[in-house]
Amino acid sequence: MEAEEKYLRMTKSERIQHFLLLSSFMVLIVTGFALKFPEAWWVKMISAVIGEYAFEARGIVHRVASVVMIVASIYHLYYISMTQRGRQLVKDFFPSLRDITEFKDSMLYLVGRKSDRPLYGRFSYIEKMEYWAVVWGTVIMGATGFILWFKDFFFRIVGNVGMDIATAIHYYEAILASLAILVWHLYFVFVNPDVRPMNKAWLSGYLTKEEMEKEHPLELQKIEEESVAEEKKMKSEL
Amino acid sequence: MNKIIRNIFVALTGLFIAFLFIAVSENTTMSFVDSDEDCYACHEDKDLTADVNGKKVSMFIDKNKVNASAHAGVECRDCHQNYNPDEVPHTKTKTNVNCQSCHDDLKGITESVHGKVECSSCHKPHEIKTVKQMKEAGSGECLDCHKTKGVRQFVNSIHDKKGLECESCHKGGHGVANLTNKDVPSLCGKCHSQNKMALANSVHNTTLSQSNTKGPTCSDCHGVHGILTSKISIESEGCLNCHLDEKKFPGEEKGSAKFVAQYRTSVHASITKNDVEAAGCVDCHGDHMVQNADNPQAATIRARQMETCGKCHSDVVSEFKISKHGQELANGNKDAPTCSDCHGEHDIKTTFSNDEFSKINLVDKCLSCHKDGKIKHKNYNGEEELISGYKESQHYKALQKGNLDAPTCSNCHGAHEMKSASEVDSKISKRNLEKTCGESGCHSDQLKEYIGSVHEVAITRDGNKDSPTCNDCHGNHVISKKVIDDKLEQSKAVIKLCSNCHASTEIVDRNDLPTKVAESYKESFHGLATRSGLQEAANCESCHGNHNIRPSTDSTSTIFKTNLPQTCGNCHPGATEAFFTTKIHIEDARKDSPIVYIVTVFYMAMIIGLIGFMVLHNILDYRRKTQLKKADGS
Repeated sequence: MEAEEKYLRMTKSERIQHFLLLSSFMVLIVTGFALKFPEAWWVKMISAVIGEYAFEARGIVHRVASVVMIVASIYHLYYISMTQRGRQLVKDFFPSLRDITEFKDSMLYLVGRKSDRPLYGRFSYIEKMEYWAVVWGTVIMGATGFILWFKDFFFRIVGNVGMDIATAIHYYEAILASLAILVWHLYFVFVNPDVRPMNKAWLSGYLTKEEMEKEHPLELQKIEEESVAEEKKMKSEL
Repeated sequence: MNKIIRNIFVALTGLFIAFLFIAVSENTTMSFVDSDEDCYACHEDKDLTADVNGKKVSMFIDKNKVNASAHAGVECRDCHQNYNPDEVPHTKTKTNVNCQSCHDDLKGITESVHGKVECSSCHKPHEIKTVKQMKEAGSGECLDCHKTKGVRQFVNSIHDKKGLECESCHKGGHGVANLTNKDVPSLCGKCHSQNKMALANSVHNTTLSQSNTKGPTCSDCHGVHGILTSKISIESEGCLNCHLDEKKFPGEEKGSAKFVAQYRTSVHASITKNDVEAAGCVDCHGDHMVQNADNPQAATIRARQMETCGKCHSDVVSEFKISKHGQELANGNKDAPTCSDCHGEHDIKTTFSNDEFSKINLVDKCLSCHKDGKIKHKNYNGEEELISGYKESQHYKALQKGNLDAPTCSNCHGAHEMKSASEVDSKISKRNLEKTCGESGCHSDQLKEYIGSVHEVAITRDGNKDSPTCNDCHGNHVISKKVIDDKLEQSKAVIKLCSNCHASTEIVDRNDLPTKVAESYKESFHGLATRSGLQEAANCESCHGNHNIRPSTDSTSTIFKTNLPQTCGNCHPGATEAFFTTKIHIEDARKDSPIVYIVTVFYMAMIIGLIGFMVLHNILDYRRKTQLKKADGS
C-alpha cells in the first residue's frame, strides 16, 4: 500500500546523535537556569528532592551534560567529514540562493499573498536555520562554558572583563537557544498540523509519504525519479 | 562590839547630864526667851551639838551671818515659837517654823511642785537668802535636792555653760512646775525660735499636738537636762530610740521599725567619719522639720532626692540631673527613677558591695522598668526586645559565665549620666561608640581595623549619621556572635546587613553611594551560589572585609586594584595573577563594561527579533496549514 510507504529521514547514527543532543540539551537547560533563578519554584522543588548538596550536584550534572554534548558534537564532526551520508547531510544543510527564494515565497504564502507553498527539498530554510543555530550555539556555549568551568585558569588570561563577557554570553545564548528550540523546533515536531501529533522521524527514522509530500516534496520527487527498483531494494532492507 | 557599847555608854552619860540640867532648872520658875542674846548665850558656842536621831548635829548659829541675811532684825523667837530656854531640847512638842506667819503672800507655793517642800530647803534656815541672792547662787540650790543622774547632767551641759539656770525652763520663785511634752516646744522656742517654727511644721509636732500627748518633743531628741547637740547622739538617743521600737512602729511596711532598722546595714551607717556615721537620719530627713516620707515637703520625697542626696553626692547628682532620668523626673514624670529607686532607702549600700549592683544583677534592676513595654521607646514603639534582648546578647552570656569584663547596662550608658545614643557626648553616640567598645580593653583589635575605614571616616570626619558604627552591624542590646557553625546563615546575614543600607534607595541617594552593589552581587555567581544554598560562596565580607572596609581608591583596601588578586586568591588560586580592568559591581554596563553592554544589546535584539519572528511564523504557518486541511477535507 502506497500510504504505508516509508522514507528514511534519520539513520540510527543520526538518531543517536540527535538523542544525545536533545537529552544533554534539556539537562543543560534545567541545571543552567536553576543557577540563574535559585528562588524559582521548580528549582526549589528539585533542590528539596536532592537535598543538602543540590547546588554542587547541579554543577556536576551540568558539566557532565556539557561533556556529553561536546562528545556528540565531536562525533558529528567526524560523521559529517568521514562518512558518505554525513558529507551529503552537511552539503544538503548548506544554505543556497534557492533558500532565499524559498524564504521569500514562503513568507508571501504565509501572509496569503501566494496561494501555493514553495516546494521544499530535503531541508527547508527552517531546518537549515535550526541546524546552523545549533552549530553556532554549541560553539558559543561550549567556549564560554569552558571558560567559566575553568575560571581560575581563564581568570588569568581574560581578566575579570573576560569572565563577565563569558558569563553574559553564556546566559543570553542559553535563553536564545532554549526559546528557539521551544518556539520553532518543538512546534514543527509536535504542533505542526502536517505531522501532528508528532513527527516520528527522531524515533523511527522514517517519514510517511504524506509527510514527505507536504514537507519535502522536492526530495520525494527526487527519490521517485531514482530507480524504483532501488527504492524497493531499500524497502526490503528494512 | 566594844564600839557600840562605848557609844551607848557615851549617849547614856550625855542623857544623864542633860537630865541633871533639867532637874536643876526645874527648880527655877518657867521662863521664855526675852532676846536673841539668850539664845546666842548657848548657840554661839561652836562646839554646841545635839543628838538628832542619833546623829551629832552642830547647834552653832553664826550670829553675824544671821544678821547679814535677809532676816537681819528678825528675832529668833519670831520663827522658833514656844521655845523654852531652860528646857533641852527647847520644846517637847516640836512646832515647825511657819514662814507664812510673816510671809502670808505666798499662796501659789502650795500648788507648786514644791508645795510640800520646806522653805528652808531652798532658802536655808538661818542665813536666809533673798531671791536676789538665790539667783546669784544659781542652780546649785536645786541640785542639792535634785540629785538624780538625769538632772545632774545639766551640769556642764550646753545650757549650763551658756548660763541657763533651772528656772530658765522650770519657772523661778515659788511657781516651779514640771513640764509636759506639749509645753516643751514653746519653752525651748523662747530661745530657739527658728527651730520651734520648723518643728511646728513637722510630723513630730503633728503627732504631739493632735494625737499623742507623749509624742516627740524637743527633749525626746535633745535630752532633758544634759542637752545633746552632736549628731550621733541625737540620732542614737533620739530618732532610733523611738523608731527602732517595734511596739511603736509595728509591721514591715515603710515607716516600720524593721524598715528603719535596715539603716544599720547601710553604707551610710557603716562608713564613719570622726566616729560619726557618714549620713545619719537628719542628713536625709532633715532635723526639726522632719516629715513623713510621702509628704510633698519632705526632703526624702522622690522629686527632692536630687537635692537631698546631692548635699553629699554632688558630683553624681549633677550628672544625674542632666540625664534622661533626671530630666524626666524634673518634668514630673512619675515613672522616672530617682536615687532611691535604684539605690534603696534605708539599706543603701555601695555599688561595690551591693550584690544588686553587680554587673549581672544590674541588668534586672534596669529591666525592672525597661521591659514589658512599660516605657515607650522613641524608635521602637512597644518592641520591648530592643532592650530586654540584652539578655540574649553575648555580653550577658559572658557575664553569666563569669567574665566580669563583659559590659552591663552602665558600661555603655553610664550610671548616673544615663545618656541615650542621640546625645552627642553620650558614650554610645555615633561618634563615641567606637571608643566605648574599642577602648574597653576587649575590642581593641577591631577598633584598630575600624579606624580609617570608610565607615569610620564618614562618621568622624563628616559627621555622617547614616554611616555604621559598632551597633549598626552588631546590634544594640542583642549583640550577637558570628554564627560560625552555619556559614550559609552567616553569609546571608551579612548580605542582609549590608543591604540594609546599600540597597536602601534613601540611604544610597542621600550619601551618593554606588547604586547597584547589592543587586549586582545578587546576580553574580557569588550571589547566585549563596542564594542557591552554597556554604562557601563569597559574601560582602569575603572581599570587603568587615571592620576595615575601605574604598577601592585606598591603597590599603582589600579591593584596591593591586590587592584584588590577593583578595580573590583567597578562594580562587588562579586569581593571584588575574587582572582587573572593569568594575566588579557594574552599575551602568554601558560605561563600566562596554563589551558586556554590547553583548547584552546584541542578544536582546536577537531574542526579541528572532524569537518574535519565529512566533509569528508559527502562527501564520499553523493558520495556513489548517486552512489547507479544511480545504482538503471538504
